[in-house]
Amino acid sequence: MNAVLYDVALTAYILAAAAAIGSLFGRRDQLAWVALLLTQAGWICHTAAVIVRGVELGRLPFMTMAETISLVIWAAILLDLWLERRQRIRPLSAFMLPVILALGLGLPTGLRSMALEAPARGGWIAVHVALVLVGLAALVLNFGIALMYLLRERQLKAKRTGTIYRRLPPLETLDRLTVATLTIGFPFLTVGLALGVLSAPAAWGSVLTFDPLALFSLVMWVIYAGTLLGRVMGQWGGRRAAYFAIAGFCVLLATLGAGVFLHGRHGS
Amino acid sequence: MPAPHTLFVAGMNHRTAPVAVREQLALEEEKIREILADLSGRGVLDEVMIVSTCNRVEVYGVAPVPGEARTAAFGRLGSHRGLAWRDLEPLVYTVTGDEAALHAFRVAASLDSMVLGEPQILGQVKDAFALAQSAGTAGPVLHALMSQAFGAAKRVRTETEVGRLAVSVSYAAVELARKIFDGLEGRAVLLVGAGEMSELAARHLVDQGALPVYVTNRTWSRAQELARGLGGIAVPFDQLAATLALVDIVVASTAAPEPIVTADQVRTALQARRTRPLFFIDIAVPRNVEPAVNDLENAFCYDIDDLRSVVEANLKERQREALRAQALLEQEVVKFAGRLQQLEVVPTIVSLREKLEAIRRAEVERALGRLPAAGEDTRRVIEALSQAIVNKVLHAPIVKLKDSSRAGHARRWTEMISELFGLRGSGRSDPRE
Repeated sequence: MNAVLYDVALTAYILAAAAAIGSLFGRRDQLAWVALLLTQAGWICHTAAVIVRGVELGRLPFMTMAETISLVIWAAILLDLWLERRQRIRPLSAFMLPVILALGLGLPTGLRSMALEAPARGGWIAVHVALVLVGLAALVLNFGIALMYLLRERQLKAKRTGTIYRRLPPLETLDRLTVATLTIGFPFLTVGLALGVLSAPAAWGSVLTFDPLALFSLVMWVIYAGTLLGRVMGQWGGRRAAYFAIAGFCVLLATLGAGVFLHGRHGS
Repeated sequence: MPAPHTLFVAGMNHRTAPVAVREQLALEEEKIREILADLSGRGVLDEVMIVSTCNRVEVYGVAPVPGEARTAAFGRLGSHRGLAWRDLEPLVYTVTGDEAALHAFRVAASLDSMVLGEPQILGQVKDAFALAQSAGTAGPVLHALMSQAFGAAKRVRTETEVGRLAVSVSYAAVELARKIFDGLEGRAVLLVGAGEMSELAARHLVDQGALPVYVTNRTWSRAQELARGLGGIAVPFDQLAATLALVDIVVASTAAPEPIVTADQVRTALQARRTRPLFFIDIAVPRNVEPAVNDLENAFCYDIDDLRSVVEANLKERQREALRAQALLEQEVVKFAGRLQQLEVVPTIVSLREKLEAIRRAEVERALGRLPAAGEDTRRVIEALSQAIVNKVLHAPIVKLKDSSRAGHARRWTEMISELFGLRGSGRSDPRE
């Protein structure tokens, strides 16, 4: 049941992404509306899928890697919908949905293997995963907005006009939102990772045991911490912050990839 | 039975007539009022309104013979300046029926304007219609036409971008500033040097909430004068570099032979600004701002050619949008045709009601005359009884008429009902009868 709902949600997201990208180039706003409706419909299905899975398995539905990625997607879509509504950043979905979907490419197979018995983990682990998850969702958005920033900046420098040029939000708005998503995401990530480190001895016996996911997480954290520090110190705004957002996201992808494909202590 | 009266538009605009002719026909309101009254008094037009702007002189009317009405109208318009109809005739275009409606919609939506999408024309058409209304020369057809035209113009404005993109250099500058800044409220502007275009750009920025405005000029008194005009602050010319760090937008237009804002100055200013962007609008030729400024992070510099190419791109975009607007207006013409058909049956319905009401009243009087002792109650009962009979008799024919107008064969039914009930003159589609 939950697998079917996941498929429906994922299909809705894919169609929404196509519509959102089309709306960037089209003259009419209808496509943007279609994209929005599809995203909302997909998100509702997704929510139902998560709940149904939790009920069917009788445990929290974010204990395996695939489940966690699914929830990162869920939270990122929620943030995207909220930002689009609150900040009136119309074409945000055109940039976000493809990124979010790229995260979820291997998802259907991962979710189908029901993994009934989740690895034995304590309650703190669940909190660790949940916090990291919210942080990652905000950082996924951070990446999408950074992409928009770079595109907008290039257009303004090159003095180019066009349909996308007219659709993108002002440069400063994009800069402000990259900061905002980073400031939301980073504390969650930090506390979440810290909890992971603290509870590692109980689960694994030692923090220092090699685990690819943990290693990548650390690199990711350092990059985001550096970006935020640079911003606070003053000079790291605009383009540089956007490049860092992209670097951070690449490591984020590697981290999740390590979680799925490399066999470390996190399992899958 | 006379032929149905026709909606027409006859006129000349910036494409068909030289300004030398248009200016002679552009008349003030009182003259137009006089001409409207005169024309409708002659009986060649049922309804008439005149749109007179610097780019067009047009007569909108309903007449049995549009050609005749057009000759009369332009003859009257030309007579003020001694222009004969035969001189004007080759310059005047005439369209009738649906084409006239489309033309009216295009004019109101600014698709027929010299600057595509300029907003003033709608107001001018509204004024012209109000004038015709107050002169009593606008009837139901023009009323329907204009209310549809105003609605259509609004649709074009909200559903297409025909009127949205900047088509002047100074507005293009403001539009660009909006692509960089998160709103212009409270943005500081520095105006370097004086010039019509730069002042206009500064004024547009102030209109959008930019504040404060610093003004500098090589001549101190000129700077002070400009600052007064814009409600700004005069800054000595040698403070230019220092002021760069304080402002978000710089508008430059001095006659200096070489750049007065260098990349080095801007680099220093940007360091002080941390990450906030700085936007240069350089309207001067030769340029006032070193082109290398555009290569600095967070600095954007647009010179006059850049702004002009933005304007050109916007004009092209407006033209593309105009095609969409045209399709939208064609839908409106179809709607209008339906409305006009409904209008066709209204006079028949009115005279049918009047006829039966007259019969009813006469018969009630007669009956009461025969009942001198009738009390208040009896009178009321007779009154109600007769009204109920009339309403029930009227119901079916009125429904039939309305249906027929929707189905598009109103004429057959208006004629038939006029014959049946012996209504005179209402078979014509002249809505004023």
